[in-house]
Amino acid sequence: MRWVRPLSAGTRGTARTLGAKAHGLVLLHRLGLRVPPAFVVTTQACRAFLRDGRLPEGLDGELAAAVGGLEAATGRRFGGPRLPLAVSVRSGAGVSMPGMMDTVLNLGLTDGAAAGLAAETGDPRFALGSRLRFLSTLASALTDADGAGTAPGGAPAQGDTDDGEADPAGAIAELQERIGRRLGRPVPDEAAAQLELAVGAVFSSWESPRARTYRDLHGIPHDLGTAVVVQAMVFGNRDGRSGSGVAFSRDPDTGGNAPFGEVLCGRQGDDVVSGRAATRPLRELADREPAVWAGLLDALGRIEEHYRDACYVEFTFQSGELWLLQVRPGRFVGAAAVRVATELADEGAIGRREALLRVSPHHLRHVRTPRLDPAGEADVLARGLGACPGIAVGGVATTSEAAVRMAADGPVVLVRPETSPHDMRGLAAAAGVVTARGGPASHAAVVARAMGKPAVVGVAGLSVGADWMEVGGRTLGEGSVVTVDGTGGEVALGRPRIIVTAADEHLHRLLAWADDVSGDRSGGDEADRLEAARAVLGRGRRRG
Amino acid sequence: MTGADLLVLHALRCGGHSGPSRVAATTGLAASEAESELIDLAVAGLVTRTAGDFGGWSLTEAGRAADAERITWELEAAGARTAVTAAYEDFLVLNPELLDLCTAWQLRSVDGVMTVNDHGDPSYDARVLAAFAGLDRRASAVCADLAAALPRFGRYRTRLAGALERARAGALEHVTDTTASYHTVWAELHEDLLATLGIPR
Repeated sequence: MRWVRPLSAGTRGTARTLGAKAHGLVLLHRLGLRVPPAFVVTTQACRAFLRDGRLPEGLDGELAAAVGGLEAATGRRFGGPRLPLAVSVRSGAGVSMPGMMDTVLNLGLTDGAAAGLAAETGDPRFALGSRLRFLSTLASALTDADGAGTAPGGAPAQGDTDDGEADPAGAIAELQERIGRRLGRPVPDEAAAQLELAVGAVFSSWESPRARTYRDLHGIPHDLGTAVVVQAMVFGNRDGRSGSGVAFSRDPDTGGNAPFGEVLCGRQGDDVVSGRAATRPLRELADREPAVWAGLLDALGRIEEHYRDACYVEFTFQSGELWLLQVRPGRFVGAAAVRVATELADEGAIGRREALLRVSPHHLRHVRTPRLDPAGEADVLARGLGACPGIAVGGVATTSEAAVRMAADGPVVLVRPETSPHDMRGLAAAAGVVTARGGPASHAAVVARAMGKPAVVGVAGLSVGADWMEVGGRTLGEGSVVTVDGTGGEVALGRPRIIVTAADEHLHRLLAWADDVSGDRSGGDEADRLEAARAVLGRGRRRG
Repeated sequence: MTGADLLVLHALRCGGHSGPSRVAATTGLAASEAESELIDLAVAGLVTRTAGDFGGWSLTEAGRAADAERITWELEAAGARTAVTAAYEDFLVLNPELLDLCTAWQLRSVDGVMTVNDHGDPSYDARVLAAFAGLDRRASAVCADLAAALPRFGRYRTRLAGALERARAGALEHVTDTTASYHTVWAELHEDLLATLGIPR
C-alpha cells in the first residue's frame, strides 16, 4: 500500500513518516505489549492532500483494505449492524505539537451500528453515549480544521462533555444538525465516508492558523504534515470493569521510583487527560483490578528498560482487559529529572556521564523546593493533589482576565474550576494555581509543571464564582491572600511560615559526578557546575 | 451616534475600574470631557468613585442595568443584531489565536521547560510580532464589519492598531502588559460583544 501502513512489530518507517504516535505503537508491539489493532495514514498522504486539496488517488481503496485488516483482527464489522467495529482517528505528527491535537472517537458508530452495539451489549445507554461522543469529537475536529476555536453558533467546541446524560438522543440530533450546517450536507451515516471525512479534517487542521503559528514560533517546518492513526476502539465506558488512565513509570514531581498517575473507571480516555472528571489515584487499580495493575507494572518496566528512562503511557481497560494506547518518554524536569537520572545511573541503566546529559542546567533552578512549615500552624483552607511542587503566595483571582489585571500589582493565585488552553495567559500571569477538578495529568497540572508554578488540583468541594471562591464553608473574595503548597497539596489562608530544605542527596551526588568530569572542585553555583561538566562532554549550552 | 454619556458608561462596563484618563483613551473623548461625564453619571447614581490603590470609577448596580438597557436599545434601533452576531462569530474564530500569541509572547520553551520570555532574543520577539500583525489584519476586517453596524466599535480598530504599532516600535509592554496593551483592548472588545449581545459569560 502506498499511503497506509498496518501497525505491527514489523512495521517499518521513521517517526517522520509514521508520526510519533504510530512510531510509539510499533514500539509497544515490539515489546510484546497489547495494543488494539491499528493502521496509520502516513504524513506523505497528508502532504499530497495539502498539495492537491483532496485525499490522494487510491487512498479510499487502501483505507477499505486496512479497515478489512482491523475487521479480521477483531472479528467485527465496520459500520455493521451486528458486532460493529468502532475506531478512533487521531492526528500524530512527527514532532510534538501539544494542544494542536485532534481525536475523533467511536467513529463507525452509524445510527444502525449504534443500535447493533446496544443489542450486543444490552446497554442502550452505553451505545447512545458512545455515538454522542463520536459526533462531539467529530464536530471539534471539523471546527479545528476550519481554524475556529469554537463550534458553530458560538457554543464551545468542548461543551459536549457531559455525555448528554439527561437526553442523549436530543443531544445527538442537535450535534448532527450543527455538523450538517458546517458541512453543508448531512453527516454521512456510512462508516467508510465518516472515516474519509475524519482523515480529511485531521489533515486540514495541519494548516489551521493556530497550527501554523505554533510551527512558526517553534521552528517546525510547515511541509512535514501529520499522520493519522486509525485504531480499533476499546471502551473504557463499557462496563463496571472498564476504565481509562494515564501512568508515569515514576513520580513526575519527585522522580521517586513508583508508578504514578490516575485512573477513571467507566469513562473514555479523553475525560482523564482533559481533567473534566474526578479521577482516582492510579494505585487504586491494584485492589480494584489486580490483573490490570500487574499488566501495567509489567508494561512500564519493559518500556523503561527500552527507553532507559522514565516513561508515560495512556491505557484503557475493557471488561478487565488492559490495552495500551500511547507511549512516550517521561520528559521530567527539575528535581524529578535530577532524581531519575541519578537513580538510573545507580541502577546501571545509564552511565554517570549520560546522567549528567539528561539534566539541563536550566532544570536546577527548580530543584530547591520550599514547603509550608509543618510546625507553623498554617490555617489550611483546603487540600487537593499537589501537582507541581513549590510555594506560591498571592491574591486570589478567579478568572484569567483578573489574574492578568491583578498581576500588575503583585503576585496572584489563579483559582479555577478547571483550566483549558484558553486559560494559558492567566496561568502565565499567576504565581500559583488551584483547581477544583482534574488530577495530576490534567491540563492545569501539566501546564503548571511545565512552567514550574506551584499548583494544587482536584480540590474537592471548591466552588469558584465570578470574583469569589468558597471551600469548607468559608468564602474568600478576589484579592484575598492565600498560600499554595504544590508539594503537599495544601491551600492555606494568608502567609504562613515557609521552610526551605537543603538540596537533597540526589542533587549532591549528581553535582559530585559533574565535578569529577569537569575537574573543578571549587564549588560555586549548581547550574554552573553542571554546565562545566556538560561542556567537557560536548553538550554545553552554546548561547549568546 | 452613541452619546458621550453612554460611551463613558459603557467604557466602565467593558473595562472595569478606570480613571478618567483611561476612560478618555477608551472613548476617544478629552480627559476633561470624560471626567465631566463621569461626574454627571455619578450624580445620576450610575457610577461611583472609590479611593485607594485599586480605586477609580466603576458602575453601580443601577449603572450596570442602565448600560444593558441602553446598549440593547441602541443595537435594536440600529437594526444591527444580525451583523454584530455574525462579527462575534468571526471574533470567536480569532480569539484562541490571540490567546496563543499572548502566551507565546510571555513564555517560550528552553530545554523542555516553559520559561518566561525575557525578551533577550529579538528574532523570537519579531516572529511573535509578525504573527500578531497577521492576526491583526484579519481582526481589522471584523472591526470594520462591527463599525459599519455600530460606529462606536470603530474605536477598537484605532486602539488595537495603536498598541501594535507601539509594540513594534519597541514599547514591548503594549503587547500584554499595560491597560492599553493589545491583549487588554482585545479583552475589552470581547466583553463588549458579550455585553452588546446580552450573552452571559
